[in-house]
Amino acid sequence: MLEHFCQWLYDSAIGTGIRESIWVFPIIETVHVLTITLLVGTVAIFDLRLLGVVLKNEPVSRVASQILPLTWAGFAVMFVSGFLLFWSEAAKSYANPAFRIKLLLLALVGLNPLIFHFTIFQSVSEWNGRVVTPLRARLAAASSLTLWACIICAGRAIAYFQK
Amino acid sequence: MQQSTYAFAIVEMIHLLSLTMLGGVILVVDLRIFGLGLKSQTAGALAQQLNPFLLWSLVVSAISGILLLSEEPVKCYYNPAFRAKMLSLVVAVAFYFFIQQRLSGGYAKWAGAVSLLLWLCVGLAGRAIGLI
Repeated sequence: MLEHFCQWLYDSAIGTGIRESIWVFPIIETVHVLTITLLVGTVAIFDLRLLGVVLKNEPVSRVASQILPLTWAGFAVMFVSGFLLFWSEAAKSYANPAFRIKLLLLALVGLNPLIFHFTIFQSVSEWNGRVVTPLRARLAAASSLTLWACIICAGRAIAYFQK
Repeated sequence: MQQSTYAFAIVEMIHLLSLTMLGGVILVVDLRIFGLGLKSQTAGALAQQLNPFLLWSLVVSAISGILLLSEEPVKCYYNPAFRAKMLSLVVAVAFYFFIQQRLSGGYAKWAGAVSLLLWLCVGLAGRAIGLI
């Protein structure tokens, strides 16, 4: 069923239009690649704060409230541009191992802040100003950094497997 | 590296990861100048704290970039996107470290805008190398 859905997207007017245009696909792709800096760059800075590497004089919650809106803006652009790219290549992406790995990793990287937010971040007032945050917060930061790095690599690899 | 299937791909991924950090720092510092993001820090203090990451990601980008270049130097030499990227890169780095960080007051916003534009040129030209 998923495969049929991907084929239907691929064959649709919009999917075909993006794929067959000389300019549209590369432009969307360029937006997608450059916006990585906004999404993952800001995530990395927050994670590095949790690890006690940067912005040590700034309370964790204040870094979160100021920098995460930028992250969400980046996410919105990444989601829309990424979906448009998928739309035009859906039938090929479906069978692409790098694409499948990337989606799996994206699910995991989405789960990570959810768990973080509803567990250790609840008690942030107790460790807000500390340079060295609790182990669970540091683990969340380390897994976030690792997952995002793998997502970028998997994303790049999609083009290698696309036939 | 020309004979390995994986080496080029791996170096390319390292290049992409380091540019994420590089672009992330530039964005956070420059957006702060426009009052977006980490407002509880002054733009100068923010830049100072993030500078080591900027420098390291520049070093990793440069090394991985040279390795990528070594795969097809002649092709790159004649590639207009590659030339535009090198030119805008030199200007962007010089502007960021030698001019922008010395400006304050009303000039700071202009400098932030120029810096963002210059780095955008680097990114766009870099992406275009593979398309031309």
